[in-house]
Amino acid sequence: MVAVDLRRPDRPTGRPRGIRPSRGYRVFQVVNAVILTGVVVVTLYPFVNILARSFSQTEFIRSGQVNLWPKGFNLTTYGRVMSDPMFWTNYRNTVVYTVVATAIAMVLTTCYAYVLSKKHLRGRPLLVGIAVFTLFFNGGLIPNYVLVSSLGLRNTIWAIVLPNAINVFNLLVMKAFFESLPAELEEAAAVDGLGTYGILLRIVLPLSKAVIATMILFYAVTFWNSWFSAFLYMDRLELFPATVYLRNLIAGATAGTDQTAASDFGLQVAANIQAVTIVLTMLPIMLVYPFIQRYFVSGVLLGAVKG
Amino acid sequence: MSTPRTIEVTAGPPPPPPAEPDGARPRGPARRTWRRALRRDWQLYSLAIVPLVFFLIFRYLPMVGNVIAFRRFRPGGDLFGERWVGLRYFKLFINDPTFWNVFTNTLIIGALTLLFIFPMPIVLALLLNEVRTRYLKRFVQTVSYMPHFLSVVVVAGLIFQTLSIDGVVNQGLRALGRDPVPFLQQADWFRTIYVSSEMWQTVGWGTILYLAALTTIDHDLYEAARIDGANRWRQTWHVTLPGIRPTMVVLLILNLGTFLAVGFEKILLLYNPLTFPTADVISTYLYRVGVVSGSFSYAAAIGLFEGLIGLILVLSANLIARRTVGTSLW
Amino acid sequence: MNYPVTRRQLLAAAGAIGTVALVGCGDDGSPQDQALAGNRVGAMDNFGVGTQFKATEALNFSILILSNPAYPYNKDWPFFKEVTTRTNVSFTPTVVPLSDYNQKRSVMVSSGNAPFIIPKTYHPDEEQYVAGGAILAVSDYMDLMPNFKDKVAKWNLQGDLDGLRAEDGKFYLLPGIHEDVWVDYSLAMRTDILQKLNLTVPQTWDELHTVLKAMKAAYPNQFPFSDRWSTPPNPGANNLLANISQAYGTYAGWDWQGTHWDEATGKFVFSGAMDQYKQMVQYLNTLVSEKLIDPESFTQPDDAAQQKFARGRSFVISTNAQSLVNDYRKDIASIPGATVVKIPRLMGPQGAVKAGSRLENGVMISSKARESKNFVAMMQFIDWLWYSDAGQLFAKWGLEGQTYTGKVEDGSFKLASDVKWAGLNPTAPKSLQVDYGFYNGVFAYGGSTKLLNSQFSEEEQEFQQAMAGRRTLPVPPPHPLSADEREQASLWETALHDHVNQQTLAFILGRRPLSEWDAYVTELKGKNMDTYVDMINRAYERFKSKR
Repeated sequence: MVAVDLRRPDRPTGRPRGIRPSRGYRVFQVVNAVILTGVVVVTLYPFVNILARSFSQTEFIRSGQVNLWPKGFNLTTYGRVMSDPMFWTNYRNTVVYTVVATAIAMVLTTCYAYVLSKKHLRGRPLLVGIAVFTLFFNGGLIPNYVLVSSLGLRNTIWAIVLPNAINVFNLLVMKAFFESLPAELEEAAAVDGLGTYGILLRIVLPLSKAVIATMILFYAVTFWNSWFSAFLYMDRLELFPATVYLRNLIAGATAGTDQTAASDFGLQVAANIQAVTIVLTMLPIMLVYPFIQRYFVSGVLLGAVKG
Repeated sequence: MSTPRTIEVTAGPPPPPPAEPDGARPRGPARRTWRRALRRDWQLYSLAIVPLVFFLIFRYLPMVGNVIAFRRFRPGGDLFGERWVGLRYFKLFINDPTFWNVFTNTLIIGALTLLFIFPMPIVLALLLNEVRTRYLKRFVQTVSYMPHFLSVVVVAGLIFQTLSIDGVVNQGLRALGRDPVPFLQQADWFRTIYVSSEMWQTVGWGTILYLAALTTIDHDLYEAARIDGANRWRQTWHVTLPGIRPTMVVLLILNLGTFLAVGFEKILLLYNPLTFPTADVISTYLYRVGVVSGSFSYAAAIGLFEGLIGLILVLSANLIARRTVGTSLW
Repeated sequence: MNYPVTRRQLLAAAGAIGTVALVGCGDDGSPQDQALAGNRVGAMDNFGVGTQFKATEALNFSILILSNPAYPYNKDWPFFKEVTTRTNVSFTPTVVPLSDYNQKRSVMVSSGNAPFIIPKTYHPDEEQYVAGGAILAVSDYMDLMPNFKDKVAKWNLQGDLDGLRAEDGKFYLLPGIHEDVWVDYSLAMRTDILQKLNLTVPQTWDELHTVLKAMKAAYPNQFPFSDRWSTPPNPGANNLLANISQAYGTYAGWDWQGTHWDEATGKFVFSGAMDQYKQMVQYLNTLVSEKLIDPESFTQPDDAAQQKFARGRSFVISTNAQSLVNDYRKDIASIPGATVVKIPRLMGPQGAVKAGSRLENGVMISSKARESKNFVAMMQFIDWLWYSDAGQLFAKWGLEGQTYTGKVEDGSFKLASDVKWAGLNPTAPKSLQVDYGFYNGVFAYGGSTKLLNSQFSEEEQEFQQAMAGRRTLPVPPPHPLSADEREQASLWETALHDHVNQQTLAFILGRRPLSEWDAYVTELKGKNMDTYVDMINRAYERFKSKR
């Protein structure tokens, strides 16, 4: 049986315990703090601004007076978006598409990455090449559209899920992770009678929690934010994800002379629909990451293999 | 303890020394080796079947459509083009001086992006690694990747706001007694603006992968280094960096291969005729050309050209990586 | 014994048979009618101007519908119900969001997958599909569309339609048609500032110069004019350039076209090299160097320009009727006493003219529709809905007695009090577009001047009056290119247009002295300007000789 040690998550690696850090190190800590504070300010400020704008009144936004705090607090645009049943239908679509697409992508990517990580495998360079080649050459918009159309996938979830099932970047990164796992662990498991599938499921995956969590995050975010596939292959409003809905709302707000509604309500929506869109689409996905961080654990303890 | 013999029988041959492809030990005619490989690793191959089908159907099948780079495609007409025109479209762009200008711009912007932005997530990950408090580390990291979620339209809007004549930067310049600079109207400033904003938007997100990689480094190595008298800096140099090297190398090779894919939408929103000399890239140029004429064939020819360059770059980078650091894509 | 048939007798016989055949056909109609014999299911036999179209059996047509988020597509709209009631036609829609309509339309048509009816197509977007055969040459089927033909004849639109023709002499788009040129865009000015400084509304560009100087003198620390609408590929401040180029007799900004028709020489010349273009650039350069116009006008996003106007840091900005009411008036509400007005287009060396096309976005028909057995019925339906007086009125304003009262012709038209649209009846509970589906951009556009005026506020009507009095410039003659020529031409055009844009800005902003104008023209020559113009002129001659 192979012992696997799951360290406590997030523990800074390698800190020597019980030794006073040198003066140089303490200076470094201060500099580090300054730099990181700078990073926080530079990246956080635009969001506070956007958040403020999403709650602000039209005229303050249009005259550029909104900074860190909402002016003329109102929930009009949020109301407009969230009181529309179509928005919720589309939001539910986003969730469903993201979950299904991520699941399928993870299964395919993990399997293929594992296969590719076996250096002894005959034909491995070809298998890697098949994946890498697709990074540089693709068919273009029309052939892809015709393919999906001919397969009868239009207006179904599969048009979004299948064509984007494997991201080669993610695949190759995962492969690198699998390669860095010590071979002795798998060998020992094989000796204990586990077949390939067993090794993958019982040994490799539990040890790769960090990279799997990362890939789930990457795929989920990509699918969550994607709009193009849905827009291209769906022909009915109720099949779109929330991203298409909101993108359309933004386009409508900045559209020209179609003589659309000129009410105060319409103007308020036009003024901060972009800000509201960002908040509504970002919030859920940003809340996912802290949960994922829990899985950033050290998986390997060589000591279990020694001796 | 099991003998090497036993391991060989049940778990396959011991892994060969790193970075040397298998097949260096011929065991008779190829067919016999293939059958042997299949018998031994059939489970592995079985795992690869569905992904391969995916690649075949959704990636390679549409690639046939690229034939329109050699055949004239009329929108709404035959999918594979009406008739063979050979290298006509290639000659069209090769003889187009504007194309080479935008190609150069693409190269420069891509190279600058790679040069300045590639190391930054690594640096930030290392800095974050030194933060003792877990809560603080998580907070900084979460905030740092927020820009990744901003749509390109919003980012462009932010850039305009910051760099306008009345914006923050120029206010600062005025306070220092200097004249305000119309940054977005100067071709010389465009690259700096583009690369800086890309850095701001992507560095935080890039640290996630490196932080994940950092967790795979064995703690005993740090212990050993400490015992050998290494301080924090030397530990980082000798343990941490080599530990995340596989990830770094893979990403470097991939980024090198795809560095021509410079952000189309962002440049489209930020550029204007005054900055065309430095800002115009292949994709924005194609957009302006193709807007009316629907020249899919022309775009396909250029796409093949870019793809070829990318492929060559990846192959070379891979070769160099294998020779120098020992890790590579295959 | 058999009579040998002499050749002359044979010919005579053939002639006789031919004549009989022709005479016989005369009763049934042209050879085209014969060709369409199999496509007449559901069509009316005596459909003409003034007849309500009603299909003889229930028909269904596929259509691409743009969903505007201000009034998202709703299959239960009274509009659709009424269409079916009146015409026996229902739709199978492919719904596309406004945000990327063009792209989706492009993909669908290019891959051969498009619905029969493809609306919201702006010329020249349809040109790219001609060679591939994906869309129908609608000019061949004018006989099926009596209302369209009638309006073209009544309003003298043949010249405008010629501009749509492809190299084969046919046109492939059924455009929206207007009785008169509809001018909407112009400049907006703070009239309270004019009053304060004792100025009158300028009528010409030179007068504008004087007005701006006075404004600058009174407010030396700001730019009186800060403009918007600066998206590439055009240089920037594209409305300003469009307006002023018209006044000077050339093309720039939104109005840019590579070549300009020179009546005197009967040839096309390159717009960016014309003397009139230079004069226009010179004028704008004067404005910039005297600090009367914000140099950022040419590159800033609309928000920035609007903010400056809203905060009272600028007093003049480009506008259309909608922006005036929706944006600027509301923005300056917080400035005490501020008023803003859209001024009639400023005049220049050309005098009191207006130019523009009387055609606007329209409908493409998929060539697959031609094979359908309901083809003729479909064309009649389209003719009724989009081109007949009754159809246009219906699509725009809806149901008499329900959504409106009165008549458009005599000005008694009034929107029902419980229905709101744009600025009319703002507190009404129901919206003409959202609840009823009328005045939808897909179905309602174009029309007679009276129909157009029925939507305008009084203020806008005054503007339209002022513009109506101006002489309409003739439309330039067509010069359609073949598909091969267009491939090369688009590359040249892009390179030339880019150079023109860059140098226009450089000249205007003073980065390049106007003394280098000749050097600039030489640079254009180096970019194939002459070859390009020759190609256009040859295409013009070719088309002329075919006529």
